[in-house]
Amino acid sequence: MKLFEQPGLEFEKELLEMIVGICRISDPVQDDFSPDDPLIGPDSVLGLDSLDAVEIAVAVEKKYNVRISLEESSRVIFRTVKTLAGYVRKQMGPAPLSA
Amino acid sequence: MTDTAKTDFTHRISAHCESGSTSSLLFHYGVKASEALVFGIGSGVFFGYFPFIKMSGSPLITYRTFPGRLMKNAAGRLGVGVKCVKFKNPEKGMEALDDMLRRGIPVCLQTAVYWLPYFPPAFRIHFDAHFIIAYGMSGNGYIISDPVMDGPVTCTREDLIRARFSKGTFSPKGKMFRFMGAPGHIDIAAAVVKGIKEACFVMLKLPVPIMGARGIRFFANSLKNWPEKHGNRKTLLYLGNVIRLQEEFGTGGGGFRFMYAAFLQEAAAILKDDRLLDLSKRMTVIGDRWREFAASSARICKDRASEKDNFNLLSEILLDCAEKEHGLFRDLSETVR
Repeated sequence: MKLFEQPGLEFEKELLEMIVGICRISDPVQDDFSPDDPLIGPDSVLGLDSLDAVEIAVAVEKKYNVRISLEESSRVIFRTVKTLAGYVRKQMGPAPLSA
Repeated sequence: MTDTAKTDFTHRISAHCESGSTSSLLFHYGVKASEALVFGIGSGVFFGYFPFIKMSGSPLITYRTFPGRLMKNAAGRLGVGVKCVKFKNPEKGMEALDDMLRRGIPVCLQTAVYWLPYFPPAFRIHFDAHFIIAYGMSGNGYIISDPVMDGPVTCTREDLIRARFSKGTFSPKGKMFRFMGAPGHIDIAAAVVKGIKEACFVMLKLPVPIMGARGIRFFANSLKNWPEKHGNRKTLLYLGNVIRLQEEFGTGGGGFRFMYAAFLQEAAAILKDDRLLDLSKRMTVIGDRWREFAASSARICKDRASEKDNFNLLSEILLDCAEKEHGLFRDLSETVR
C-alpha cells in the first residue's frame, strides 16, 4: 500500500482500507498497487468483481452518504480507487473527507 | 463494403442501453428528454420472475419492461413515430442498414452483447437485447454509439451481422428501429401521465402472479426454497446472476428503481405535483432496499456471509420491497386519475 502513503492520497487510502475490509482481502495489498490500477474486473490484482462492487457501493453509501446510481456509469466510477475517490469526493462537496 | 457515410449524431453516455439509445435519438430529432424521463414515459419499470425461461443458464428475472417496448412507448407518447423492421436474411438486414446510413439516418439496432468486439471479453455476456445506435460507415466498419461506452466505437460488418442475428432467449432477429422525426408540438405532460398509468397497471393489475409487485412476492417465496430445490452450487450461480441483472447491466442500480425515482422527480416538475416528489423519495428508499438485498446476496455468494445473511433474510427483504412497491404504485396511480 506504499503508493497510497503519498500526501494528498489520504482519502484514497481510507477507501482502499475500507474495500480490503468489506471484501475480506486476505493477502496484503502489494506495495506497487497504485490508485490508478484496475479496481474491479478481470484486470484487478485485488481479485474484485461486480459482486464486490455491489458491496462497495452499499458501504460507500452508508459511510459517506453518497449513492452510486443512475447516469453515472458505475464501470467508470469503479475503474480505479482514484476514480471512486474522485466521484465520492465530488458528491460530498467541499466538506472534510475523513471522520 | 467500402462506403463512407456519417450522420451528425452525437454520442451520449447513459446507464441503460434502451432508454439511453431512445434518449439519444430523441435528442437527435430535437426532443430533449433525459434518460430517466424516457424510462418513465416508456413505462420501463417492471418486475418479472420467469423460472421457466433460462438466460445464461439461470431463471430469467427482469426489472424492466420487455425489450423494444420502452422505446416504442416513449417515442410514440412523445409523438415521434418509430418504425421497427425485422429481417430473416442477414444480407437484407445489412443492406437496409447501409441504405439508412447512406441517407444520413441514424438507426437503433437490437444486438447480442457477446458478439460486439469492443466489449472487453469479461463483459461479453449472452444477452441478446442490447440496443445500440449505428450512425456511420467507414471502410469495413460501422460507427456505433453504444450508450454504455465512453465514446463512439467501431464494429466490422461480420461482427455486426453476428450480433444482429444471434440466436438466444431474446434473439434480435435483425431488428432495426428508425425514428420518423419529431412533431412541432409535444404534450410532454400527457406523455408522462400515460407512462405512469401503464407502469401502475403492470405493477399492480396484471393477472399473473409472477409479474409486478405480486411477482416480487412470488420470487421472495421461491427464493427461500432455492438451496433445497437447486443445491448449493446452482443456487449461488442463480443468485449471482440475479444480482448482476439488478445492479450491473446498465440498470442505474437498485433494479432501475433509482432511475424511476429520478423520473418521478422530473415528473413532479412537469405535472406541478409535489406528491410525486414524495413518491420519488419513497422510490429511492425502495432502491436502497433492493441494493441491501444485492449486498447480502453478494456476501452469501462470496462465502463471507454474516450471521444475519441467509435466504430467509433475503426473502424478507424482497417481501418488504413488494409491499413498498405495491403501496407506491397504488399511491402513484392516485396522482394521475
